Amino acid sequence: MRPYLGLLRMSTRRILTYRLNSLILWIGGATFLAGSLAVWHALLSQGAIGGYDWDQMKAYLLVGWATASIGSAYGDWWMASRIFDGHVATDLTKPLDYQWARFSEHMGGLATEFIAIAIAATAIVTFTGGLVVPGPGQALLFAVSFLLVAPLKFTIAYITTMACFWTQNFMGVSWAKDAVVTLFSGALIPLALLPAWLAGPAAVLPFASITATPAALYLGQATGWEALRLLAVQAAWVLVLWWGARLIWRRALRALTVHGG
Amino acid sequence: MSLVEARGLTKIFRRPEKDPGLRGSLKHLVQRRFKDFRAVDGIDLSIEAGESVAYVGPNGAGKSTTIKLLTGILVPTAGTVRVAGAEPHTDRMVNARNIGVLFGQRTQLWWDLPVRESLALLRDMYDLSPAFYKQRLERLDEVLGLADLLPVVARKLSLGQRMRADLAAALLHQPKIVYLDEPTIGLDISVKDRVRQFLRELRQDGTTLMLTTHDLGDIEDVCERIVIIDEGRKIFDGPLAQMKDRFARVRRMHLQLAEPTPVEKLAERLPDVEVIAGDSPTEVTVTFDRFTHTAGQIIAGVLDVVEVGELHLDEPAIEDVVRKVYAGELLR
Repeated sequence: MRPYLGLLRMSTRRILTYRLNSLILWIGGATFLAGSLAVWHALLSQGAIGGYDWDQMKAYLLVGWATASIGSAYGDWWMASRIFDGHVATDLTKPLDYQWARFSEHMGGLATEFIAIAIAATAIVTFTGGLVVPGPGQALLFAVSFLLVAPLKFTIAYITTMACFWTQNFMGVSWAKDAVVTLFSGALIPLALLPAWLAGPAAVLPFASITATPAALYLGQATGWEALRLLAVQAAWVLVLWWGARLIWRRALRALTVHGG
Repeated sequence: MSLVEARGLTKIFRRPEKDPGLRGSLKHLVQRRFKDFRAVDGIDLSIEAGESVAYVGPNGAGKSTTIKLLTGILVPTAGTVRVAGAEPHTDRMVNARNIGVLFGQRTQLWWDLPVRESLALLRDMYDLSPAFYKQRLERLDEVLGLADLLPVVARKLSLGQRMRADLAAALLHQPKIVYLDEPTIGLDISVKDRVRQFLRELRQDGTTLMLTTHDLGDIEDVCERIVIIDEGRKIFDGPLAQMKDRFARVRRMHLQLAEPTPVEKLAERLPDVEVIAGDSPTEVTVTFDRFTHTAGQIIAGVLDVVEVGELHLDEPAIEDVVRKVYAGELLR
């Protein structure tokens, strides 16, 4: 356990080393959030759309932005670059489980991400006149679901990264992943607003567990058994993807080529 | 059983085969052709505990690939490997505790943090007690001058400093076997000497050592055994001295003559060897094949013509031998 906690701390420190980079990343993200809020404010001035009024949409956008922030500080790009620049070779000679090691580094980003989320929430409360807050029961369900987002996003990023073993490049895979995740998680627009032919795949893919599930719990759209079902689905995806990643990893190692030196 | 046992170790990489130009690239998109490339081709290797082995060969011979197979980074296409009883690529974590690895071209330090932090994390990874850690740091400081490097952020180190810090990182847990892949690459003479001195001390401590290098100066005084590979195959495996005996046929004798003597006169007396005039009229160098002539015969021949003052014989340099191996001259 100790070396993994050590890695987590190292990862946090690495992110803090590049404060300016983190700040720019966060300003960009905050601009996007402000823009989304402005667009939806205009759209909702005529009345609710798809069951969302302005207050609910504000909360939805914040939850969507927060879930999108999780894992962004660590950056799957960093994990991928170690594979194609060959540093994976030094990682593989350490007495650590590769997947747990990378997960620890991923979790090392959470500290700064939580700070960014807290600032964004405060800003929304301050400048838009309050925020819908769930009751204690729903808040607890939301908290559990929000915590599950971190491992879920890690497994998706980790599996995507392993594509590098075959593609030798990460750009295409990474953009494709970001596009698919943004659309099917509900981070772009709530899944309820998607046309049927997109809502169908969204319902069966794991990505809805990233944004749609925590948002539904936060807004009280899912309560009681339905809420527990959503949490179970989310947890099941974490386990399936975690163990699926292990299977892929075993195959990926056979495809590993470390050039030169 | 030996500490390291490899039998028929083989690694085949698949390389895309593309015709030249854009046309070739487009064609490759629809009609993909690959060619197998045998980076390591049926290598047998046994290393006993305490041995120090130089693993040399030209660029692309398969040296680094072998190291990566032995360290469990790559999965072999065929053959078996055992290192201290464990199969490196399946028991990767067990194997990792037994070995220390240095890749001269890649650092294992955390780039953005002080060296001290990297070493502390390695201490946690290998479960080292505080007392053992302290004692190792002191020992490594003695031979590598580590203390000055500890507070420095890794990316701000010079190449020589980085290599010293990386050596410390590879050896911190006192591994049973140490693999060094080009440990002196890009270093200046003084740092090189320091690293070599360190390797000698490492050997005296009884550490098993396997080292790949292009710089044959790394080998002398450090390794008693040399393995030469080319195109993925082992072409020599034996004591360094034996390699010189077997492959170094040419010897060179420098003679100081009692009086100036034209080289032609000497060449006449010694028809099958090369006689070259030295810097002064009283100096000559005789180059001969030690399989056809003895040093005694050469001296006797020269003495027939002129008195000899001083003489010395050049020992065959491993550079010369390995250069010939690389050029493919010794295989036939």
